[in-house]
Amino acid sequence: MPIDALRISPPASTQSSAGRCRIQSSRMDSEARALENDLIREAQQGSRTAFDALVRQYDQAVLRLALHLTGSEQDAEDIHQEAFLKAYRYLANFRFECSFYTWIYRIVTNLCLDLLRRRKSRREDQAVLIDSSGEEMDLLNNVSDERASANPDRELNRKFLGERILSALDQLTPRERMVFELKHYQGLRLRTIGEMLNTTEETAKNTLFRATRKLRANLAQVR
Amino acid sequence: MKCELAQEKIALAAWGELPEDQRAQLEQHLAECVTCSSEMEAVEALTKAMSLLPVEEPSANLMARTRLKLEAALDALPRENWLVRLTQSFSLGMARLRSAPLAASILLILGILAGGYGGYRAGLHVHDTAQTALILQAAQQHDTNAKIASVSSIVQVPNSKTVVVNYNRLVPDSIQGSPDDPQIRQLLLLGARNRVNPSVRDNSVGLLAEECRTGRQCNDGPVRNALMVAMLYDKSPTVRMKALDGLQSYVENDLSVRDAVLEALMNDSDAQIRAQAIGFLTPVEADSSVREVLHTVAMQDDNPHIRDVSQQVLAAAPQMQ
Repeated sequence: MPIDALRISPPASTQSSAGRCRIQSSRMDSEARALENDLIREAQQGSRTAFDALVRQYDQAVLRLALHLTGSEQDAEDIHQEAFLKAYRYLANFRFECSFYTWIYRIVTNLCLDLLRRRKSRREDQAVLIDSSGEEMDLLNNVSDERASANPDRELNRKFLGERILSALDQLTPRERMVFELKHYQGLRLRTIGEMLNTTEETAKNTLFRATRKLRANLAQVR
Repeated sequence: MKCELAQEKIALAAWGELPEDQRAQLEQHLAECVTCSSEMEAVEALTKAMSLLPVEEPSANLMARTRLKLEAALDALPRENWLVRLTQSFSLGMARLRSAPLAASILLILGILAGGYGGYRAGLHVHDTAQTALILQAAQQHDTNAKIASVSSIVQVPNSKTVVVNYNRLVPDSIQGSPDDPQIRQLLLLGARNRVNPSVRDNSVGLLAEECRTGRQCNDGPVRNALMVAMLYDKSPTVRMKALDGLQSYVENDLSVRDAVLEALMNDSDAQIRAQAIGFLTPVEADSSVREVLHTVAMQDDNPHIRDVSQQVLAAAPQMQ
């Protein structure tokens, strides 16, 4: 089974508007962008229907990111809700300097970073590694399909690998984790990641290097 | 390519962030360098391994549940009143203004350019008229053979052979008449302020003082003021004395003149002037400030004669009263 088959490509809406501040993505055609901008303006003037339409456009991508990053449906739901409530409250501050996609992802990544930091400090407080594998196993089980179950050995191996990967990811700092997530799992450009995290492309690049180095050290036994 | 640089490029290449041309360079290096080539393999292996943790789409169930929760939360938000709405739309308007700095700058620059051009055109017009008047005047006065002091500017009128030369002339002039003549008096006042030539000041102040003493044309402020200034501040004692003489008639009725004379009495360096001032103050010695000054002078003046005189004046005062 090709490994890439495990990666589910993000839906069109995520890719189409992968925007950058000031330089709007060329991938989103101008008609769609104009349509979206109209929606944003209507929402800014208080239209709930327009805001709902915006939510529908992005909420699946947001939920997917939060779910993968937190590994918990409950946390993902909370982040999703908080992010869109924030967006609703501060929509008047959106000035069309960057794409709405970047703007909403900035909110989401901030919320996720907060959660990761809280988790990390809690774990350090407890001084004992919490056994988070329950949910993580669930996560992997959900992926199991007929191809996987057809080969129990391979499935077991993948479960083992998945755990190792999660624990390796857990050892990254929240920021490294976030950059790696956005680059490797969400497939965003480093420049976009820099904008979402309010930093430069260069810094995002360095963070990705650090994350790669750490992951290699952590996973050395696996390979 | 050095290995250090290659390591950086390897990480970028693994995530598809390396530009095509650099990728070719890297591949060339990898073909030659075993260390870097194994590094590339390791990083690629890592990306493959990491991909074993799949990114899965949220289930339809989760999606629906989340949307419902969000809708409920949005519905539960308090309805905003008109004030909040107004503030928001105001801040939105401001935000739009802020987000259009380029347009604003262009408008500003256009405004400045238009204003500048308009001003230039208007100025050109006025300048032309002024130049014409100047040329006409110069032509008229040419035969007076006035001396030319300096040439201040030469302007060539565009698209013509005309040249405009601005120059300064020295025109000494004289005027004759009685000191009562307003024009002469005006010149005398000017002369009293002449900083360069003391004899001009001397003569001007002398004539103005004479005017006052004889009681002609002296009731207006300028002459009196010029005399007071001369009395208090002129460097030459002769001029100060003349000014003081001119002010004598004012001492009795004009308080500011009286104060000025008192000040001269206190501070003037010339003993004759101080003595003269005492003489002028005799009619008003009942004035408490005059007595105060006379006391001070009687006690402290450097000149024994002046001390004596002021003491005499003070002693005489009660008898006079």
